[in-house]
Amino acid sequence: MAGTLVELTPAEVSAFAAREPAWLRALRLAALQDAAGLPLPQSKQTPVANAAFAAPGLGQAPLISFVDLPAGVEVMDLRDAIAAGRPEVEKHLGRLFKEGAHRLHALHLATFAGGLYCRVSRGVELKEPLQVTLELGGGSLYAPHVLVVMDDGARADLILELRGEAGAEPSLRGAVEIVLGEAAACNYTEFQRLPGRTQTYWSRRAELGRDARLHWILADVGARLSVADTRTYLRGSGAEARVLASFFGGRRQHFDFQHIMVHEAAHTTSDIEARGVLQGKARAVYNANSIIQRSAKGASGWQHEHTLMLSDEARADLIPELEISEWEVSAGHAASAGPVDPAQIYYMESRGISPVESRRLIVAGFLASLLHDIPLRDVRQRIADIFQEKVEL
Amino acid sequence: MARPELIIEGLRVGIEGREIVKGLDLTVRGGEVHAIMGPNGTGKSTMASALMGHPSYEVLGGSATLDGQDLLAMSVDERARAGLFLAMQYPAEISGVSNANFLRTALNARRAEDDLMPVMQFHRELKAKMASLEIDPSFAERYVNEGFSGGEKKRNEILQMAVLRPRIAVLDEIDSGLDIDAVKLVANGVSQMLSDDLGVLIITHYQRILNYINPTNVHVMMQGRIVRSGGPELAMELEARGYEWLRQELGIDEPITEEA
Repeated sequence: MAGTLVELTPAEVSAFAAREPAWLRALRLAALQDAAGLPLPQSKQTPVANAAFAAPGLGQAPLISFVDLPAGVEVMDLRDAIAAGRPEVEKHLGRLFKEGAHRLHALHLATFAGGLYCRVSRGVELKEPLQVTLELGGGSLYAPHVLVVMDDGARADLILELRGEAGAEPSLRGAVEIVLGEAAACNYTEFQRLPGRTQTYWSRRAELGRDARLHWILADVGARLSVADTRTYLRGSGAEARVLASFFGGRRQHFDFQHIMVHEAAHTTSDIEARGVLQGKARAVYNANSIIQRSAKGASGWQHEHTLMLSDEARADLIPELEISEWEVSAGHAASAGPVDPAQIYYMESRGISPVESRRLIVAGFLASLLHDIPLRDVRQRIADIFQEKVEL
Repeated sequence: MARPELIIEGLRVGIEGREIVKGLDLTVRGGEVHAIMGPNGTGKSTMASALMGHPSYEVLGGSATLDGQDLLAMSVDERARAGLFLAMQYPAEISGVSNANFLRTALNARRAEDDLMPVMQFHRELKAKMASLEIDPSFAERYVNEGFSGGEKKRNEILQMAVLRPRIAVLDEIDSGLDIDAVKLVANGVSQMLSDDLGVLIITHYQRILNYINPTNVHVMMQGRIVRSGGPELAMELEARGYEWLRQELGIDEPITEEA
């Protein structure tokens, strides 16, 4: 990746963190020190100007649609959780970025600002999904951090929407950390519909305890440049993780997504299912890796990636990988990219459906299976509608 | 509205530079059921596909009008909205799109923006039409043609026809690959729709479907042209004697080419 990094000094970071507790200031300064020795994120295909993401970020309060929160569930701005001295924040924040981190991750920890904190106590089950929106304003760089901690047996679904004021063109650098205790279960839905000139650098990490279950349901439709990496650690036996990633790029949008599953324990299962649609001169780079470590006997890790090309000028690079160090596992991948089947278009047109409406239906059908698990029907429908409306002829 | 009228004159159609339909004349009006019969490779299906506007077929000459409008100047979806329907031999599968959604979109494509069919009314009518074709209600939510048996696909074509109410329907080998019970069901479905507001053109190899839909006109197509026309008795004669006598009578002895 090209681009130089803005030089940050410890004094600047200390000033940035002046009102924060000592542990966080220390974490930020340590991260800044680490940053110098860490490599830059590498992607041959994606020209990220790192400088755009390396500055201290602005905070933006999350909009939380309250449901009746039962006792044992907390949802708040991360700043408030820090100020209130929640011990889980000190315990977990940044922990999942210690492994495999690169310089932008470290700089993020040194300079993140605000975000979301969600905690579900042991055995508590939230019946309705939590809906949270991060709406970016007119600033230059936003740097939220999302921390979700669910104790043993907790169950909750979270829907996070990333959007921005029309006409704004901020950069967004953010991170998500999800910690699931034993048998905890979470559907995490993230819908990225940022304005057309936004650049994003977004990292997600999750750690699953024994028999925990996490579904990442990721839908990307906005931003000029969207770079995201997701890494899920299956640490307890029987843990199950899925990525259901859908995206739709048009014009000159550039997406670079990386999904990694790390199987550390026996009988863990993972599935990465990605479906993208590209039109105009859009480009998608898609990496997936299922890593099955020596300790993960009986693990299963699968990947399916399909891209529907609506234009000859769009481009998709699909790079599926498997790293398997254990016997008695099941793993594999299938990847494909291709145009819409002209026989389908002809058939739909022969029923009086216009060419553009035919493509809309095909796109909706292509992506439908990935939106199934979104826990709220109206959210699911809204995402499906936005995907459909994006089809240009 | 006047009775539907499809007029085909001197139609010539080619595919990949090869002429398949070589000057076809045919008029189908509302209330009429025409059957086009003939051996494989004589251009029956090519004619049907060209009428609908399949992009692989090239119209080399002639004309086709529906209610006086020039069909050949229209795009595929315009032809459909003008009232032409083609029940296809090999309908496409569309994953992720339910039959109900597909049909409602097709129906609404024919209606003004402010006159879209209410969802509840649509489902009521769809349900009634599925029942009359003995189609299981679960069909509505299954994806278009995905995992359908041959018979289900054909019944789905007829269901679409029933919902979309075309003015002229071309049924391209709607009986092929079906057992006799399925043929009966499909034929009865079509028969229920017959009226002066619908003209039907049935393309078939076999006479048996005509036992359940009485044709008003029967045509035999060979080597890209209609070589004989008559009433229902012509179909009976073909059933009894095959095509060979006609071929000899007309002095046609060229080998039969593959159906395109």
